[in-house]
Amino acid sequence: MKELTIAATSLRRTLRERSSIFFLVLFPMLMILVLGVAFGGSFSPRVGVVTPHTPLAERLADSLHAAPGIAVVAVAEGSTAIASVEHGDLEAAVILPADLNTPLRYVVRPGIQGQQISSIVTAVLDREEARLRAAAFVAAENGLSLPEAQSRVDAIAPQFPPAPVDVTYAGPEPARHGRFDAMASSELLLFMFLVAMTNSVALIESRRLGVMRRMLATPTSTGTIIRGEGLARLSVSLLQAVIIMVGSALLFQVRWGDPVAAALLVAAFAVVASGFGLLLGTIARTSEVAIGAGLLLSLGMAALGGAMMPLDLFSSTMRKVAHLTPHAWAADGFSELARHNAGIADIATELAVLWTAGFAVFGVAAWLLRRRLARQAA
Amino acid sequence: MSCHDLRRNYGKLVAVNGVSFDIRPAETYGLLGPNGAGKTTVISIIAGVLQADAGQVTVAGRPITPRAIGAKAAIGYVPQELALYPDLTGRENLRFFAKLYGLRSSETKRRVDEVLGIIGLSERAGQLVSTYSGGMKRRLNIAAGLLHRPNLLILDEPTVGVDPQSRNAILGNIETLAREGMAVLYTTHYMEEAQRLCDRVGVLDEGKLIAEGTVRELTAMVGEQDRVRLTVAAEPQELARRLNASDLGHSAAVDGNEITLLVKDAPTALPAILDLAGQTVRSVIVEEPDLEAVFLHLTGKSLRD
Ligand SMILES: Nc1ncnc2c1ncn2[C@@H]1O[C@H](COP(=O)(O)OP(=O)(O)OP(=O)(O)O)[C@@H](O)[C@H]1O
Ligand SMILES: [Mg+2]
Repeated sequence: MKELTIAATSLRRTLRERSSIFFLVLFPMLMILVLGVAFGGSFSPRVGVVTPHTPLAERLADSLHAAPGIAVVAVAEGSTAIASVEHGDLEAAVILPADLNTPLRYVVRPGIQGQQISSIVTAVLDREEARLRAAAFVAAENGLSLPEAQSRVDAIAPQFPPAPVDVTYAGPEPARHGRFDAMASSELLLFMFLVAMTNSVALIESRRLGVMRRMLATPTSTGTIIRGEGLARLSVSLLQAVIIMVGSALLFQVRWGDPVAAALLVAAFAVVASGFGLLLGTIARTSEVAIGAGLLLSLGMAALGGAMMPLDLFSSTMRKVAHLTPHAWAADGFSELARHNAGIADIATELAVLWTAGFAVFGVAAWLLRRRLARQAA
Repeated sequence: MSCHDLRRNYGKLVAVNGVSFDIRPAETYGLLGPNGAGKTTVISIIAGVLQADAGQVTVAGRPITPRAIGAKAAIGYVPQELALYPDLTGRENLRFFAKLYGLRSSETKRRVDEVLGIIGLSERAGQLVSTYSGGMKRRLNIAAGLLHRPNLLILDEPTVGVDPQSRNAILGNIETLAREGMAVLYTTHYMEEAQRLCDRVGVLDEGKLIAEGTVRELTAMVGEQDRVRLTVAAEPQELARRLNASDLGHSAAVDGNEITLLVKDAPTALPAILDLAGQTVRSVIVEEPDLEAVFLHLTGKSLRD
């Protein structure tokens, strides 16, 4: 199997570079840690709040903001908020009423944490209700206008702080279902793609050094060389995947869901990524161009595809655009797997799209490389 | 190896223009020509890495084209550039090419060690190629073409930019390989190398083979003859007269106790000359006419531009 020789030699050259350890291992882990802590590491669950432009709603929103134990995220639309809760990017959503005749909508993920948030939100509402009642009473007794009565009530409110409650947790800490999960899958996609792209430098070096030409002088077919080079990109990308998945599972208790389905998803994405890597290695003339273009494309596609910011926060148009990238499809797949205990059947569409795209990109890259090698020999 | 009417253009530039020649088994054939003569182009076609516009090549009885994968096993190709991975060790580079040449694992290890021994790099084999000197890299470059014991070894200017000591070692290696029966195709623009190594030489200029033959045949074309210089202990005048009178040589001239004479075929005639001179000869120098002169004669240009 000369393909394996070519791929193994390329991989060996990559790993021999000291910077590889940094880029393949330390950097992704660091990113997961930093982003996980920055966006999700706090123990306050994120609650999306949709606030209509009325005094009542705005006051309620302020109270929720001030409430301890939850992190309020302002969301523009009710449907977006609900979708985010469904996907696990928010723990709960509160759609505030414009007036007292409309019900408040509260959307929460099932489970203990949902109940906790629910009680925090209810407490806030109870206090607000008590305040309004008190104001109505003061207004009726003293003949004051309602706003005046409200400010009187507000003025004496600090004299009646909420009854103190001492909470003690007992028993084992529940599994942290977390923001790390989302960060880890985003980083996984970003880095798998990035590493396949920047690794195309190895292919360019082979061409520049004349090793590629020399390989053509051995009894080795162009097809074998192309498959070997493709396999090289694939193995780097897969190696990166294993490092991130295992590392994040061990260090941050990230859950990747059904292992077989996750493996198929990762493999599909690796094929796409290495196809793009092979393409870049074929088209780019110099290593500098390849690295520049590789970084730009990797970061651009990751950002567009929701590997930097959750897709749920995208508008519906942008979400459609995002699905032009393999990242969005893979991200969908991972969120299914991690959050809904899904299996292969549930991510069949994502798998089909990614595998098809992978083979297509790989095919185009192989065809171009074959042409380029033939022209070198022509 | 046999090639017939090879042609190759780069756009409008005619790089190779109808080149034909043969190399016999165990023969060392030199392709001599100035920069840009088309040596690398001819050699690339023969090695099967470049598609010819026209013409055929056969090596060990099998036609060679870029697509003739199996037939390439008969050829060891050492390109003009250092086609090696600098970030791998010498041994790793050789192992890589051995696998590509289709050697089995057990065979690979043995051959890699053997070849490292031949080129004298066994001690440095475990170090990165980037730490090698220019001469060592050149030697490793050659080694990578020897692994599979090719019938035909093709070397494209293997001594470019190499110090005299390494060059001598490289030429010695090639001589040894040739003596062991490997056919060698060697390009150079150093005529001394062609003279030292090659059984036959083809002179290439502007894509055409303008002359071919042994070094002797080529130089004979120019009409020059060997200059033999004898240093004698006594009576140089008398000896010069006798040499001129014989049919061994002519134009004998005396300078001090040194006699210079022109001889048609010095290696053949020398025993008779020494016989004639008897005990008085202290030293003999035979100066063959060189290929530089041949090239000058054929093209009106110097080999080294
Ligand atoms: N890839 C190419 N594209 C265009 N022209 C080329 C190419 N390769 C070679 N040539 C041209 O073809 C001619 C023959 O080149 P070639 O490399 O065969 O010469 P050479 O005899 O090997 O020279 P040198 O001694 O410098 O190695 C030169 O004029 C060169 O400029
Ligand atoms: Mg050349």
